[in-house]
Amino acid sequence: MSFLPFSPNLLQQALLYAILAAMGAFILAPILVRLLLKFKITRSAEYDFTLKGGERLFKVGTPIMGGLLVIIVVTAITLLFNWERSYTYVPIGVMGISAFLGAADDLLNIFGKKRRNRTLPMTLTLIRVHKKWYVRLWYILTLPWTIFQRSTSVLGSHPGKGVLVHEKLLLQFLAGAITAWWIYFKLGPQWHTLWIPFDGFVSLSWWIIPLVIFLVMFTANAVNIADGLDGLAGGSLLITFAGLTAISWIEGRAAFTLLNATVMGALIAYTYFNVKPARFQMGDVGTLGLGALLAINVMAINKTILLPVLGFIFYIEAISVILQVFFRRFLGRRLFKMSPLHHHFEFKGWSEERIVMRFWLIHFFFVLIAIWLSMN
Amino acid sequence: MLSPKAEQLIEEYLNLPFLEVPGVRCPYFINSRSKQRAQLRALIGKGLPQEIVEEAKIISIQYHHGIFDCEGKCLITNLPDYDSINPPAKCIKKFLVDNGLGIDCSGFVSHVLREHFKETRKIDIVNKFFFVPIKNSVRYFISWLRPIENMSVKHYASDKNTKKIEAIKDIAPGDLMIMIETGPQKNRNHIILITDNNGQTIKYVHARAWSMEGQYDHGVARGEIRITKPDKPLLNQEWVEFGTINENNETYLEAKNAKVFEVRRIKF
Repeated sequence: MSFLPFSPNLLQQALLYAILAAMGAFILAPILVRLLLKFKITRSAEYDFTLKGGERLFKVGTPIMGGLLVIIVVTAITLLFNWERSYTYVPIGVMGISAFLGAADDLLNIFGKKRRNRTLPMTLTLIRVHKKWYVRLWYILTLPWTIFQRSTSVLGSHPGKGVLVHEKLLLQFLAGAITAWWIYFKLGPQWHTLWIPFDGFVSLSWWIIPLVIFLVMFTANAVNIADGLDGLAGGSLLITFAGLTAISWIEGRAAFTLLNATVMGALIAYTYFNVKPARFQMGDVGTLGLGALLAINVMAINKTILLPVLGFIFYIEAISVILQVFFRRFLGRRLFKMSPLHHHFEFKGWSEERIVMRFWLIHFFFVLIAIWLSMN
Repeated sequence: MLSPKAEQLIEEYLNLPFLEVPGVRCPYFINSRSKQRAQLRALIGKGLPQEIVEEAKIISIQYHHGIFDCEGKCLITNLPDYDSINPPAKCIKKFLVDNGLGIDCSGFVSHVLREHFKETRKIDIVNKFFFVPIKNSVRYFISWLRPIENMSVKHYASDKNTKKIEAIKDIAPGDLMIMIETGPQKNRNHIILITDNNGQTIKYVHARAWSMEGQYDHGVARGEIRITKPDKPLLNQEWVEFGTINENNETYLEAKNAKVFEVRRIKF
């Protein structure tokens, strides 16, 4: 299935996919809400340090894992109508892996028990004092793993429950590695180069592999971080995937135009139910899955350089967390009142609606820039 | 007298800049209980008044205490469990202590001295300060990144940073009274900043906790030493603080019980 750039036929098909996905998601959404409520997959205040006084306490009890709606609809429509082995199976597969990881995290956060994570000094002490030699040997052999576990735990917001940070990183690395393998070995030599607006292409050779892995991991987590206010992640993703649909259509990349249009359609329904007061929230299942899909779809149309512009709000939110951690740990001060950035504005007294709508508008502006850049 | 900005900073510690709530004296941060690493400096007893106030607001909002709103306005009198016997300032101070906010003696002295030297000598003492002993390059890097947090009493007591002042008449604003190995268990160090010396009275300010003040009433305080016997050492003079004199004055007792008690002056 190939189309020329700006093909009216492709646009027609894309709109049809978007309408189909939106309708499917609108039908499925109430059923999903009921199921999530029935199985008590809802938000609790126990581990949510960001629930702010009376203003946000009404969010307790809202179903999470609403992102399943988009994941299910997109997977179903792609499998049924847009299954091109050379193009769509890896994006859907990677989205599935990330969504699976997110779902496990969501469920373990609700139903799981607090998991013990032995500290490094404790392990070193056990290596010295444990009475059984083979246990000491085991601790020595697994010491690098323990160091990895402990060093990554500082990245977690509330370590101890859910999927632990090191497990999350490993699975995300796997998703990134699959994407890198696909782009480097399957899509062909054209994808070993990085497209630069106004300037053509820069050859990256095998350096594209670590870049892809990093971007998949970073983008998935960035979308996850942005999912803190009703409608923020959903609406921003909707704008991003609309822009991405436009860019794919302009480029004439049929499979991706249809895939992005499908995501856009499903996100219309999702955002409808997610605006304040939200009927459900995306959860890690949606944010990690769609974040990975966003990264892979941008890279698959060879517009990698536009990823931070297309995902502007997500990247800004993620960078705000990195800067805040740097300032806090290294300089002993706060850069923002709280990170991610949306919480900073909440602490400044902005209403949730005001933050979300302003973020949407800023994001929309940058997506327009991305579309314009893609044409140069 | 110290420089106007240094005096202003002391006033801010004595009267933390909470909106519409005057009279909140910055509590003392007992650093020996702190086991936190790489933490915000307001949470380890090294914060500026504004940082302590900001952190109090954030903690209040984040953990639903309802004491402040987003604009920083105090809502404490609206709380259902508000104890009307205690004024809001007292309740806020309790909140600060309960949440580990306050200033320790060396943090207080470092901030005030920094302002004083910036204004009077146009130098930033943290750039001139010698961190002794530097155990390894990591410690050096940490000291370079977070100097105020690493300027301890022992560093001030080092000959690399300060010199000893022998005569009472030579004591000047900006000098330091340093006590090494003091307290009931001889396990604490303490530092006091001298703010004025007119020949008859030496005025000082410090962050301290007296046992008689209980769990919540400690904090930054001013005191003075009346020179009644000019030819005798400082410990033979009259120490007045918080309405108490000498043996009833816990600062005096700390100075008296210290293994080393010296008045020192920054060298640079």
